[in-house]
Amino acid sequence: MTDDATRTLGKGSIPPGPVPEGVIRLYSMRFCPYAHRTRLVLRAKGIRHEVININLRNKPEWYFTKHPFGQIPVLENSKCQLIYESVIACEYLDDAYPGRKLYPYDPYERARQKMLLELFYKVPHLTKECLVALRCGRDCGDLKLALRQEFCNLEEILGYQNTVFFGGDCISMIDYLFWPWFERLEVYGIADCVNHTPALRLWIAAMKQDPTVCSLLTDKNTFLGFLNLYFQNNPGAFDYGLSC
Amino acid sequence: MSGGSARSLGKGSVPPGPVPEGLIRVYSMRFCPYAQRTRLVLTAKGIRHEVININLKNKPEWFFKKNPSGLVPVLETSQGQLICESAITCEYLDEAYPGKKLLPGDPYEKACQKMVLESFSKVPPLILKILRTQNKEDCSGLKEELHKEITKLEEVLTDKKTTFFGGNSLSMIDYLIWPWFERLEALELNECVDHAPTLKLWMAAMKKDPTVSSLLTDVKTFQGFFNLYLQNNPEAYDYGL
Repeated sequence: MTDDATRTLGKGSIPPGPVPEGVIRLYSMRFCPYAHRTRLVLRAKGIRHEVININLRNKPEWYFTKHPFGQIPVLENSKCQLIYESVIACEYLDDAYPGRKLYPYDPYERARQKMLLELFYKVPHLTKECLVALRCGRDCGDLKLALRQEFCNLEEILGYQNTVFFGGDCISMIDYLFWPWFERLEVYGIADCVNHTPALRLWIAAMKQDPTVCSLLTDKNTFLGFLNLYFQNNPGAFDYGLSC
Repeated sequence: MSGGSARSLGKGSVPPGPVPEGLIRVYSMRFCPYAQRTRLVLTAKGIRHEVININLKNKPEWFFKKNPSGLVPVLETSQGQLICESAITCEYLDEAYPGKKLLPGDPYEKACQKMVLESFSKVPPLILKILRTQNKEDCSGLKEELHKEITKLEEVLTDKKTTFFGGNSLSMIDYLIWPWFERLEALELNECVDHAPTLKLWMAAMKKDPTVSSLLTDVKTFQGFFNLYLQNNPEAYDYGL
């Protein structure tokens, strides 16, 4: 059970109080891949944090004071500072907190990770489109082809570098930034998109052995339960799998 | 002289040799706003550099080895390392070179600059669309959208109560967004900042910055470039030389 296993807050909910000192707060949603990035970094760096899940189909009015469009993830610290956009939030955490650095120290290596992120930018949209198409009974052959092409580009990088992870031989920020979409390939019904990319499959296997990734893995049935309710437009989707 | 006024290299040109030690090279184009970001940072930080201009309508085959997407700007170091994407090049320069830091050291302030950059992100493609749109009706719709985006930025700056987007001194975020504001006059889009008095003051302050003013291009030269560019004329990139 992860530390974010709490019911979502929706319209009419009481705004949460200020963030206690020594803790950072994450506004999140248990199944959101973007928020997943931030949860991975919080866990990887061992940062004390609290999670408030937001009902994205029934957003609390107060939440728009945290983010102008009510998006997640958003970080809020005890100085009332708000940081949003998942990549910006992840970099902030790496900069602001001591301990293990997820981004490399070397400026060129840092730049390489940021360039790799640019290579990835079509993947979230394509995976979502595939999911929606499949759920609506539409053909998604073209979409899958496009997604496979993106995966080929990533495969080439791993081949060229001859390393297990995207940042080298150890897991680092760029791997965590990619991971959430790869974790969802199976439940989205598009796991076959990595059929022709062996290095990427090895990377996926290596990622699943990482303690941080492992500790935040969502089991398939819970995910499917969420997706079923989500596509029925049921606002209860976001709390699927929580006891009581 | 940084060599920013050199003729562009096109198809069939001889690939440049390795970058000499002690220098960094930027592959650029004199009128490209994205490449201007990198040139602003190079100049602001006093980094010794050489510029190779690329003819973007007639790209040299060797240039795709520097950046498979064929886009400028690209940085190349004397160790043969290549960095692409304008914002990434700017951050790399700030981290790799000593002297005045353009990005704040405080993690939150740095994150704020990145959030402002994110909220600016719709402006460049909008301005490009406006440049390329001949139809008056489509243009007025686009101008309205631009006006909305500019209003967002006006609000950000007014809320901050400082002259510049990062505080009371000029910093990275100001350089990153400046190139598009520099082009407003040449594109006859000054009206889009009419209802943005704080932004107008910012523009005036920016024009006084030694780095910004050393790289300023005058309205007539921009317009000469735009005209040839819209005609798909490869000579556009060397206009004014």
